[in-house]
Amino acid sequence: MCSDTVLVSQIQSGNKKALGQLVERHKQVAYRLALGLVGNKDDAFDISQEAFLRVYKSANTFDNSKPFLPWFYTIISNLSRTWLRKRKSRDYRMVDVDDVSFLLVDESNPEMAMEKRETIASLRSALLQLSFEDREIITLQHFRGMSYEEIARMLNIPRGTVMSRLYYARRRLADLMRNDSNE
Amino acid sequence: MNNDVRKLLAGYVDGELTDEEKKSVERALLENEELRVELAEFKNLKEVTGMAQYADLPDEVWESYWESLYKKLELGFGWIFFSLGAIIILCFGAYTVFSELFADPSAPLWLKIGLPTMAAGVIILLVSFTRQRLFAYKRDRYGKVKR
Repeated sequence: MCSDTVLVSQIQSGNKKALGQLVERHKQVAYRLALGLVGNKDDAFDISQEAFLRVYKSANTFDNSKPFLPWFYTIISNLSRTWLRKRKSRDYRMVDVDDVSFLLVDESNPEMAMEKRETIASLRSALLQLSFEDREIITLQHFRGMSYEEIARMLNIPRGTVMSRLYYARRRLADLMRNDSNE
Repeated sequence: MNNDVRKLLAGYVDGELTDEEKKSVERALLENEELRVELAEFKNLKEVTGMAQYADLPDEVWESYWESLYKKLELGFGWIFFSLGAIIILCFGAYTVFSELFADPSAPLWLKIGLPTMAAGVIILLVSFTRQRLFAYKRDRYGKVKR
């Protein structure tokens, strides 16, 4: 199986089949990352597709000595920021987003699911109010289950910065959830 | 309390600390009630996020994902070729019309003045629109974000 970097170098010479392979490999990751950032299923789908189109159009700007995923993530992140700005959320929050079903209770335990639905609603509401940067780090760590090392590579930041960003993001998320339950 | 130890709490909850870092957090936890409360809060948060998952799309959407993407790709190329063709034809048409118009002594003067003026107006509007778009692109704070 070809590596991502090999596929991108084939895309650089206009190979659409290579793009197809890359899409099959990363379409769900792209969608879920975008969903974590914009909180809307339809838009996350569109952003994921637009990200692959950008890969095809901008393949020549890709540095073949570097890994593909951080570059791809930057494309998704930039597209998501642009999308949020277009939604007139000046501070890149998702307060205007009307799709409340982007985050669901894990239904593997139906009895637990009933009890936890309220907590998840509170989490959803808190996530909607976080800044883009906070939501980004929470998405990568909590919902993508990435290690600090992987996040550091993905965002091109030191491991210590990952830890401190996660600390502050969690602090704000916990505060928002506490305020929500007090209201 | 040392703020650095506090920041290590995230790594402590995720099991991402070195032995030395872990020991320094545990020492601080023994001494500091506030830190213990914060740790409990973070653990609870981790549990809550562990219960949630992002909504997936139906299988048929995934099955037709590449197909719909390929259509968008073709559509993009279609527009590029169409636009290029349209520009070539428009330029040729304008050249033909103007060369014939100015070569024809019987053509009325108002037409000889009016048509080029209108064409100049269209060109100015196009340039202005393009400049505005470029200006907006350059001012895009996140357009060139590199991580």
